Amino acid sequence: MKHWKLLSILLMGLLLAGSSQAAEEDLYKLSYEERTKIIEDRFFAASKAGKTIKGVVVEGNSIFNGTTVPQDKPYGSPYTKEELLSAKISAERNSKLFILTEDGTLYYPTCKKGQSLSQSDQAHRMPRALTEEQKKGPKLFTWATLVPMVGRTVELHGEIYPGYAGVKGIHIKSIGFEGEYIVGED
Amino acid sequence: MATVKPISLKSIFYTACSLVWIFGLSAIGHIIMVLIEKHNPAIKFDFAWACAIVGILIIYMTRFLKHDGWQSFWGVLGGLGMWFAFEYSLMYGGDRMGVTYTFNGSYPEYRMMKWTFMMLLMVFTYLLFQESVRCNFIYFLRRKLRLMRGVVATGKISNYGPRTAFQYIMVTWTFYVLLMIGYDEQLFGPQSWFIYTLFFASFSVFFYLCYKLLGYDKFGANLKYAIPTVTILWNDVEILAKWGMLKEPWVHLNWPIMSIIIAGFAISTYLIVKDLRRKKAEMIESKDVV
Repeated sequence: MKHWKLLSILLMGLLLAGSSQAAEEDLYKLSYEERTKIIEDRFFAASKAGKTIKGVVVEGNSIFNGTTVPQDKPYGSPYTKEELLSAKISAERNSKLFILTEDGTLYYPTCKKGQSLSQSDQAHRMPRALTEEQKKGPKLFTWATLVPMVGRTVELHGEIYPGYAGVKGIHIKSIGFEGEYIVGED
Repeated sequence: MATVKPISLKSIFYTACSLVWIFGLSAIGHIIMVLIEKHNPAIKFDFAWACAIVGILIIYMTRFLKHDGWQSFWGVLGGLGMWFAFEYSLMYGGDRMGVTYTFNGSYPEYRMMKWTFMMLLMVFTYLLFQESVRCNFIYFLRRKLRLMRGVVATGKISNYGPRTAFQYIMVTWTFYVLLMIGYDEQLFGPQSWFIYTLFFASFSVFFYLCYKLLGYDKFGANLKYAIPTVTILWNDVEILAKWGMLKEPWVHLNWPIMSIIIAGFAISTYLIVKDLRRKKAEMIESKDVV
């Protein structure tokens, strides 16, 4: 075995590759088109039945330390221009984000119930449900993440959890909103 | 530094092929990443490992190649494989650490890459003081900063595959870091003077480098120097995408445009391979120094 060292390095590489496989394999058995259709059908059915959550995305640190009061502002305009910029910068620095509904309830985006090992949910892409009207116009992003959505109104479909001390949990399955994902880049 | 020869039809042909090939390679790399993310993101880390292993093997394989054209050809592919693996490793790291997108839409892996700037500076410092490195830009800096302790190394630059791979990695890394520093809203931002300057400077320098590239009438040198030329143009592609002016074909794959790019890549690959095979008989074989 002249090249046994090279072979052993290769084998180690392959073993490491196997261990890094994500546990989400089952989610992607369907084709992209089928998956998108199911996600959209579920979103709009839930929306029709009033089972989606509508609210604005707000930044956690400044609410919990009392620096901003988006809950006291008119619904849909949670921040002043200066506050919004700070909230966005804080969000991309990983200050936790919440969904503030019109009735004042806070929802904390979280992973699926039963999942004990997890990552920050605001880093993940969420599939976007596009309305028929949105599909007819210029092509829009088919996914979104929460940070660029700070201060904007969104509609979320997912599992709702009782949470703690009045703050509820939501495992987001899809998102809907007006306009483009990244504002100002159209 | 290689001698720049008069522009001939042959060098125009070589330059066109090299530019299309390197540009096509970057574009196809991008398409693969978008397709994996869209259809089966679960495989992306396995794909990254495969790229790393294949990249290293290709670079190792160049040890046994004699023709400098093949060295450049496989060197680029080896570099691309390792670069893919680097990007995906940052993606994996970003996911593990919960790194978010920025509010202006920059992806977590590029946010992480931005903070490798000091590492980049260290590698660049090494290259700047390593007198055997004869990259034109580094050579220019060394001359202007009076860093040469003696006479400059002369003679033909051998287009050794690993060196080409390293060049691909360094050039791509440098410009991504530069772009990410420019996109940072707390430093400059996508609509800042910095990004506008970078956009127009890249556009101008691209044409200058094309002109220089026309002086190389062999694929060995032409492919190698097409790397910085195309990567500088790629800055503009990235900036236009950031400004929202190039959603198609990059964010939403536009198959008619993609088909043209893939066809261009296939034709240029065919022409390069055909030329290198034809020249195989003409090559001067050099024995290993023992």
